[in-house]
Amino acid sequence: MARLKFLCDSDRCIECNACATVCKNEHEVPWGMVRRRVVTLNDGEADEKSIAISCMHCTDAPCVAVCPVSTLYQTDLGIVLHDKDTCIGCGYCYYACPFGAPQFPRATLFGSRGTMDKCTYCAGGPEENGSEVEFEKYGRNRIAEGKLPLCAEVCSTRALLAGDGETIGEIYRERVVKRGYGSGAWGWSTAYYPEERP
Amino acid sequence: MNSEVRVHGRDFTAYRIGGAIAAVLLAILLGWQIWEIFDGDNRTVPEVRWGVAALDGEATAGDQSGLLAHEVLRARTRLQDERYRSGPAPASDAPDFATGAAQWLTNAPMERGAGRDLTRGWARPGSDTLELLRGSERVAGISSLPYVGAEVFERPFGRDWRLGIADFATHLGALAILGFSLLLALVLALRGRVPIAKGRSGRTVKRFGFLERANHWMTALSFIGLALTGLVIAYGDTVIRPFSEPLLGDLGWLATWGHVLFFPPFALGILFMILRWTWGNLPGRYDARWLARGGGFFSDSPDNPPARKFNAGQKLIFWSAALGGVIMVVSGVTLMFPFYWLDIEGMSWAMLTHAVIAVLLIAIFIGHIYIGTVGMQGAIEAMWGGRVDRNWAEEHHELWLAEIEGRTPTQERSG
Repeated sequence: MARLKFLCDSDRCIECNACATVCKNEHEVPWGMVRRRVVTLNDGEADEKSIAISCMHCTDAPCVAVCPVSTLYQTDLGIVLHDKDTCIGCGYCYYACPFGAPQFPRATLFGSRGTMDKCTYCAGGPEENGSEVEFEKYGRNRIAEGKLPLCAEVCSTRALLAGDGETIGEIYRERVVKRGYGSGAWGWSTAYYPEERP
Repeated sequence: MNSEVRVHGRDFTAYRIGGAIAAVLLAILLGWQIWEIFDGDNRTVPEVRWGVAALDGEATAGDQSGLLAHEVLRARTRLQDERYRSGPAPASDAPDFATGAAQWLTNAPMERGAGRDLTRGWARPGSDTLELLRGSERVAGISSLPYVGAEVFERPFGRDWRLGIADFATHLGALAILGFSLLLALVLALRGRVPIAKGRSGRTVKRFGFLERANHWMTALSFIGLALTGLVIAYGDTVIRPFSEPLLGDLGWLATWGHVLFFPPFALGILFMILRWTWGNLPGRYDARWLARGGGFFSDSPDNPPARKFNAGQKLIFWSAALGGVIMVVSGVTLMFPFYWLDIEGMSWAMLTHAVIAVLLIAIFIGHIYIGTVGMQGAIEAMWGGRVDRNWAEEHHELWLAEIEGRTPTQERSG
């Protein structure tokens, strides 16, 4: 069985923001919200690194655990999806998320900040796969078409990898062996192996 | 003083039967709650599985359709491999495209319990994966996006927060609320009501003015409104969801708005209470003795430890309302205006504080409601009509009764 993950090779990310842009465009994400963003660490220093981050679709996902109205749920591929019809905008998922993924239309009053939006791993939501109503609420459903998230497939340096965790792990390891260095899978311990302490 | 007892707590048979029935129900609920702590379902598990439409339509097994869906995506993942490994390159063939035109992946609910093994398996890294893992620590840099928190790459505290809200606060709250309620139901069943031991005198004295009572009930009703809407948010997933998921969504939405609407009268009421009652609730010299004798709660004797207008128990309730109320209002207003003065970590702590203090306050005020209604004969009249029976006043607040009647207490007790 496949377990889908994201892996961003921080030695390759050039902060072009194509992933963030293409995501916003593909899913017609409204103003004020981003499903994927690029964070630059040690900006201007010799060890500057950029890294793209979105919802990591965690194992034992904290957002699913804290959601008071079961808006969030996970599929057997590991993808964490949300149901905009039940969301009450309480913001618990935002406090629980280790990666700042959940987004709200407005940063206002509890209850008036609107329903949560986040990365769907390009897998839509609870509506019928590929339907118009699904697109309006959640964006394109590429997984149902047998495709992987656009952010990774569009990445010009192949820094951002998406798909079966074992396979992208192997791709990354081969790459590290070939070029001789690599700073590891950022965020994986927090996202996928919460019980491991490396 | 005449210590002849005419009314006994155990004489309130109907109340005691009611208490016994409540105790049985609460014991069952408490048992359920304790089982919830240990039933091992605190990991989140997948609830939906993927399949392939072309296969699901036919008589093929669901498993096969699921395997194919996973295979399709695994093949697609291979397309990201390095060109020197996968081609197109002189050394190898061009990769196959992953999907055919006829394939369309579908979703279906998973069988109950099937997800548990998946989560367990996912959480265990192979030795290859173990090499890739870095430490789990807060990582922040800069981001070109103008949003709060956009510069944070990783904050493992989110997982601790989840334990705090989804395990600690909810279980602590359920144990405190159900446990304390069970205790009170048992007291009512075994001990009965605290009686006006000498019976009603037929004469009343004024205890609370109209403004005090109106404010009390405004605060009380908004507190109950806040508590119920808060409980829907905190426990709806456990209590309401099994019956109806859409109902939970609707109630959750109502609760969100209700919670905001009940806040202004509550905050106003707490403020007035603090202004009106703080002076009378400062610790006094009779409080230690009153507490040491448990307020005379378990004896039917009219010879209760002396108290002025507010006894030590009432003072504790007042300070719970005043301090708890202020904490709730401050943390609540903070949560209503995200990131106004706190960052994401501060907001997380505000939410945790709000939740933990809330469930404790609910438990405490269940005690207050109990003693003010079924728990003690004649107590409700103080807040309802504002006048209490003179014998009630004499038994519970003899120093206060002496003050308002303009005489020195009949006996100044020592020790």
